Amino acid sequence: MAIEFLLKKQNPDGGWPYLRGGSWTEPTVYAVLALLPQGETAQLKRGIDWILRTRNADGGWASRPGVGESSWVTALAALIPAERLGLPVHAKAIDWLMSARGEDTTDLYSLRQWLLGRSGSADRNNPGWPWTQGAAAWVGPTAMAVVALDTECRLRPSARLAQRAESGRNFLLAHMCKEGGWNHGATEAWGYDAPPYPETTGMALLAMRGTQSPRIEPALSLGRKFLAESHSADAQNWLRLGLRAQGQLPAGYLPPDGVAYRTVSEVALDRLAAAGGLA
Amino acid sequence: MTTENIVGQPILAAAAFQPSRFGYDSRILRESRLKGGCSQDWLPRNMTRREWIAGAAALAGCTSNRPAPAPQSVSIVRVPAYDQRIYETVRRMLAGHGLDVRGRNVVLKPNLVEFEPGSSINTHPMLVHAAYEAFRALGAASVRIAEGPGHRRNTLDLADSAGYFKTVPGFENIFTDLNVDDVSRVHLSRQVSRLGKLYLPNTVLGADLLVSMPKMKTHHWVGATLSMKNLFGTVPSGVYGWPKNVLHWAGIDQCIVDLHQAYPRQFALVDGIIGMEGNGPIQGTPKTAGVLVAGRDPAAVDATCCRIMRIDPAKVVYLRIAADKGAQIAEAGIRQTGESIAGVATPFALIPYFRSYRIENS
Repeated sequence: MAIEFLLKKQNPDGGWPYLRGGSWTEPTVYAVLALLPQGETAQLKRGIDWILRTRNADGGWASRPGVGESSWVTALAALIPAERLGLPVHAKAIDWLMSARGEDTTDLYSLRQWLLGRSGSADRNNPGWPWTQGAAAWVGPTAMAVVALDTECRLRPSARLAQRAESGRNFLLAHMCKEGGWNHGATEAWGYDAPPYPETTGMALLAMRGTQSPRIEPALSLGRKFLAESHSADAQNWLRLGLRAQGQLPAGYLPPDGVAYRTVSEVALDRLAAAGGLA
Repeated sequence: MTTENIVGQPILAAAAFQPSRFGYDSRILRESRLKGGCSQDWLPRNMTRREWIAGAAALAGCTSNRPAPAPQSVSIVRVPAYDQRIYETVRRMLAGHGLDVRGRNVVLKPNLVEFEPGSSINTHPMLVHAAYEAFRALGAASVRIAEGPGHRRNTLDLADSAGYFKTVPGFENIFTDLNVDDVSRVHLSRQVSRLGKLYLPNTVLGADLLVSMPKMKTHHWVGATLSMKNLFGTVPSGVYGWPKNVLHWAGIDQCIVDLHQAYPRQFALVDGIIGMEGNGPIQGTPKTAGVLVAGRDPAAVDATCCRIMRIDPAKVVYLRIAADKGAQIAEAGIRQTGESIAGVATPFALIPYFRSYRIENS
């Protein structure tokens, strides 16, 4: 059923929309990852061709062709196996990720802050990744970049990549909400605590795979609570992926009845969560 | 407005911001709020000499003889509760403003923010449905509801949780998630923010009338969030992310003004029946104001709402910038119809940072 939905939603150009309309990189990558276990099909090939065709000259991908510069979705594209993208293409995607960081942790920004007599970013030593270039780092794109670098490291170990992934995990730990779990990145504003969200908590837990730290215990506890309470497809998908990565997803877990899987991303991620992971 | 159809250069990087992860460096923001005036004076990021010259010219213009803004009409109607009477009330309000939408495409833009059913965070679905029915009755060719929340990605789940599926028949068929709609690049002729490239959703760009339908709320970064700030929900997160952090880096107040000018055909209908005070727009507390406020000019409507909330609109930075660019926010320039401001005004609690925004003697 899910596969049929994905095939039906594929655009003539080979990419996928979120729901309807033109193709975007994020749902296209999720759809391709969900179709990969089906084996070689014309639809899969058209999807991968779309991804290859829409790559920017700098090795990254924009959120959709012709819109803005390379962005966080490059981490998603890097989750497609290198043998499917081509080793040079995949390597350039990883290079792009290695060069990206939150604007507030760049040398130029730090220098400017220093010249103005202001303190620099607390994240300077552990930079995360932004949604778009020229903005601060956030939990979602940082989590996806860490997952991409970890996946690459498992296949082709690299101290440099491992170190950068570790800095991303440290960023996530530093931005955990007081009660555990994650908002988008802020832990408070004006002295008011920011509440954690189910989907961002799931994403961050996925990136924290293998991290042995008592600091993530509250996040795990909250993640399980969110899983039991949430009826949103996005939340269920990311929590399943995150808790499974932590070995905390109950065996045989199925999302509750009534969860509506409406978008390409939701359907594809549900498929991936059921199959065991993103990569 | 179509793509690439308004060519111009940014004339003034009016303010530089030191964005933190949730918006601004509070210290810098505080300095700016306290200074007031027609512009801010801290050093913009990447400001060029040309921008400095343009900025100086604009600063000089703050005291020059600018043509007086045109008078605007804003209506205030008492509405004690969200009940069936709201349908007739909205019909009468729209009729009172003489809107001719026959054969036109209308887009209703509510404010959907968080999953908290029963809270005062989101625009009430009954009001949106009432507007939908009223515009249909006025002969609109199509009426769509559209929103692109900045915090939560699962927009339809959010709308479901807020009661939209239950209240608006066939909601899913008439709703567009603006975060993932097809987009076009827009060039603004008088851009005030430092936003590099602005992409906006085709559903909104193609509307003959964009109806901004915010909740009347205080806001922890800009003081008050009303019909102009509500336009942040038209910025596609599919391009800019969740939250739309580039808007903060480019100057939140300036981006509000830029978005306001990106949509030349607007109407504002503010849900002030139960609003939010304190640490809005999410973590505040419900505040009953018992009013709907409407008008063709969002700046005039927002200024009126501020006065109802006992907030001085001249201290709200984005309203002040809009006024500098010709918008009407002066009470004397706004023709109030229906209830008087004094008759419905009720002070909305402000976080300490914004207490200086309070209208004196209130």
